[in-house]
Amino acid sequence: MSNAPAPVALGRKLWRWSSMPLLAILLAFAIGGLVIWVTSGSLITVVDAYVGLLRGAFFKQRGFSETLVATIPYVFLSLAVAVAFKTGLFNIGVEGQFTIGSVCAAWAGVTFGGLPAIIHLPLVLLIGALGGAIWAAFPGFLKARTGAHEVISTMMMNYIAFRLAEYLISVPLRDPSSTGVQTNRIALGAELWTLAAFPERLQDPLNALLLALVVSLLTVLLARIVLRTARFTAIFENVPQRRTIYIVAALLTGGLCFFAIPPLTRVWWPFTDQYDRLHAGLFLSVIAAVAVWWLLWKTTIGFELRTVGANPHAAQYAGVNITRSIITSMAISGALAGLAGAVEVLGVSICRCLPLFFSSGYGWDSIGIALLAKNNPFGILLTSLLFGAMRNGADLMELNSGVSKYIISLIQALVLLFVSAPVIVRWVYRIKDKPKTDNASLTLDSGGRQ
Amino acid sequence: MSLALEAIGITKQFPGVLANDHIDFALEQGVIHALLGENGAGKSTLMNILYGLYQPDFGEIKINGQRTVIASPHDAIVKGIGMVHQHFMLVPPLTVAENIMLGQEALTSNSAGFGQLARLDHRTVSRRVRQLGEQYGLEVDPEALVQDLTVGAQQRVEIIKALYREANILILDEPTAVLTPQEADELFVIMRTLVQQGKSIIFITHKLREVLASADHISVMRAGKMVGSVKPAEASQNLLAEMMVGRNVILQIDKSDAHPMEDVLRVSGLRVFDDRHHLVVDDVSLAVRAGEILGIAGVQGNGQTELTEALTGLRPLAGGHVSIDGRDIPHITPRGMIESQISHIPEDRHKHGLVLSFSVRDNMALCSYYEPPYAKGIEMNFPVIEEHAAALTKQYDVRTPSINTKVSSLSGGNQQKVIIARELARPVKLLIASQPTRGLDVGSIEFIHQQIVAARDGGAAVLLISAELDEILALSDRIAVMYKGRIIETMDAKDASREKLGLLMAGATMEGAHV
Repeated sequence: MSNAPAPVALGRKLWRWSSMPLLAILLAFAIGGLVIWVTSGSLITVVDAYVGLLRGAFFKQRGFSETLVATIPYVFLSLAVAVAFKTGLFNIGVEGQFTIGSVCAAWAGVTFGGLPAIIHLPLVLLIGALGGAIWAAFPGFLKARTGAHEVISTMMMNYIAFRLAEYLISVPLRDPSSTGVQTNRIALGAELWTLAAFPERLQDPLNALLLALVVSLLTVLLARIVLRTARFTAIFENVPQRRTIYIVAALLTGGLCFFAIPPLTRVWWPFTDQYDRLHAGLFLSVIAAVAVWWLLWKTTIGFELRTVGANPHAAQYAGVNITRSIITSMAISGALAGLAGAVEVLGVSICRCLPLFFSSGYGWDSIGIALLAKNNPFGILLTSLLFGAMRNGADLMELNSGVSKYIISLIQALVLLFVSAPVIVRWVYRIKDKPKTDNASLTLDSGGRQ
Repeated sequence: MSLALEAIGITKQFPGVLANDHIDFALEQGVIHALLGENGAGKSTLMNILYGLYQPDFGEIKINGQRTVIASPHDAIVKGIGMVHQHFMLVPPLTVAENIMLGQEALTSNSAGFGQLARLDHRTVSRRVRQLGEQYGLEVDPEALVQDLTVGAQQRVEIIKALYREANILILDEPTAVLTPQEADELFVIMRTLVQQGKSIIFITHKLREVLASADHISVMRAGKMVGSVKPAEASQNLLAEMMVGRNVILQIDKSDAHPMEDVLRVSGLRVFDDRHHLVVDDVSLAVRAGEILGIAGVQGNGQTELTEALTGLRPLAGGHVSIDGRDIPHITPRGMIESQISHIPEDRHKHGLVLSFSVRDNMALCSYYEPPYAKGIEMNFPVIEEHAAALTKQYDVRTPSINTKVSSLSGGNQQKVIIARELARPVKLLIASQPTRGLDVGSIEFIHQQIVAARDGGAAVLLISAELDEILALSDRIAVMYKGRIIETMDAKDASREKLGLLMAGATMEGAHV
């Protein structure tokens, strides 16, 4: 029963899961094209616009790398939204938690300067995540204890976060020597390396050790997930000592990263100057997606959160502490959003510091991304890429065709509209409605709606 | 006799289910026609077609011999079909008269033409309600607020509402589900009066006894097909049950005498508030011994829900003591109760018992997901959980395509079996079963009753809360009657009779109950 489903069935499941969002995207682009056509009066403009969008997002100089740069915060923030969503909470405040995360990271990045990256970088990321977590846990606490609706309280917390950040950046954390309002320069040890800088950074053995540690840790986690997955347990049933496998795998990959990779990168490294803004946050975002997936679907905590989200009454019946689940969920959500802020300030900030007005509306888009990806972490990776590409390609689209780049917002809004109102998509593509027979049975002893 | 309504060859296909398969149904003028069938047999689909909620794929409907299409519920009302739903469609804070005119408001003549500002003509409506009440023996005060009425009276309001709209054909959907036996008998008298004055009634139910007592005609449906029609005189409960289920059914549960041992659950002076902060459980004391079933009889809404919720930690106590095995439990939590080996079959399986969007596998693990061997540290141990779920589906005969199927796509009976399996598969010291077979098919009821008795025979104490008197009488070793938040009488099951319990359930004292 639990054995591997046939590939055909898996493909069908995947299609059933992704067809509606894909059709919604297609429809949104079609209508976007229609709007461009009507407003510009020429079909060529439509082609120009979309070719420009595609080139800008993927094919021009730095196109793809910039798309990925924009994708990274989307991934973290929409994961944040998804974790809350799965618990039945609507975290509107990711933007504020992002801001707090970035301020915390900037503060820690400056304050603990001088530490080696192997300590400093994890510490700063942790502090950023912690800041976001606390910022979000508070509305969670209010919700659980007093019933204050999280939509209102997280939104209010956004404004507090913005003003607080403005104050902190322009008064206590301000770099007095700078003409702009910004914090002091973040120490080198807290910087998230750009892909182009990897060979150079890895020459420091401590940095190589950091990489080795991260990679070997990941290897162990991955191996555990694979070995624990029901589908594979049968294959690995005869493996006597799992622990030995983990240790060998960790030593092997860690050793490789420590001894072989640094000299190798000097000789050959695929990421040239094109990638001087794309940073290691990319890997962190993928790790975060896997971690969220693991948390939600493989752990007891995730089971509790999903139960609370799907049916709080049943959760209470099963003995789940709902108050704790709500606060935990919001804290995890906020930690991811705070991490987004930290990663952004450590990875892409031009001044290598935190300037005033740093946030740039990633948070709002992320709510849509989570919705479009149906809160699935892997769906979020793909959808974030789509939104990152659209955000990044918009400029060239405008240059290429004269179409305002705000048409992208229109298309994104249409995608969301169609995803949240699937009836429209079904009608357009003449797809038969999913049967409304909730109680209709797959079994013998029952029939239609009661 | 002429036909009031005729359905010919009605077919309705839902994806995956043929809900109605060439159904022929003829309702004669002036009779009570019972439509009998298990949940999922297609009764509701057929009625929804007659009431205009669904359109049939094939087949035709004739009213008074004329072919017609019923496009919507409004259309059905216009054509003289009225429906009384199982769950009343009334607005509690409004008066009876206001409820009755809702959607068809009568306006005072001098204000006609003022549109929104027109005044409601309470007087005319009240007069009409009184007149209808006298004509058909439906006593209701038109000025009373619906929220102050008993359930039986609310049902009469629903019937008057249909009559006010000049319905000639009344569809009553499981009308006795919420009534005491006495109230049900009163309803049958009303139904008789209605048909004597020319109305025709379709009476939907799954209670065999009532059908034999009240109907002129009985049609039985099974698995989307019309199995047959009989006259009550030619039928027996066993015959009807067999027609409904398609095989011989044991109506009487085989149960040996109880061998009660020490008290497991002891409750004293329990007081509980409901959501509106009314005291609905008032000074309840009871004890359940290992190896016996204590049945709590009572009409729905007399505090049974709150009593079970309090005992299972879903609702705070306002006073009183609860002890398990002689150990006082000052603070009851759901998890604490689960860990003291107390199993709970909740009254509302969709609200508390299941997470509908989860798979069978996950629902089977709902109460034990966090402890070994189902979890290792914070990680779930899915191979073990799956093995466990697969074994339980087999043992408890849960008919599901796979353990990964969402429970929402199972039938009610199989959903309930998922809960039964989960709650009975672990060691049980005390089983609290609340309405364990509500809305289920005969086959599932039979199975669940056997499981409850088996739990008792295995040494568990069982507290059974049910509004179905038949269930209480079939399973209990001792019976307590709950009325307005109090246990007004406890007796040995051998001394109980349907009549006696019925009177007690209506609030009569024991002296009055000696008929």
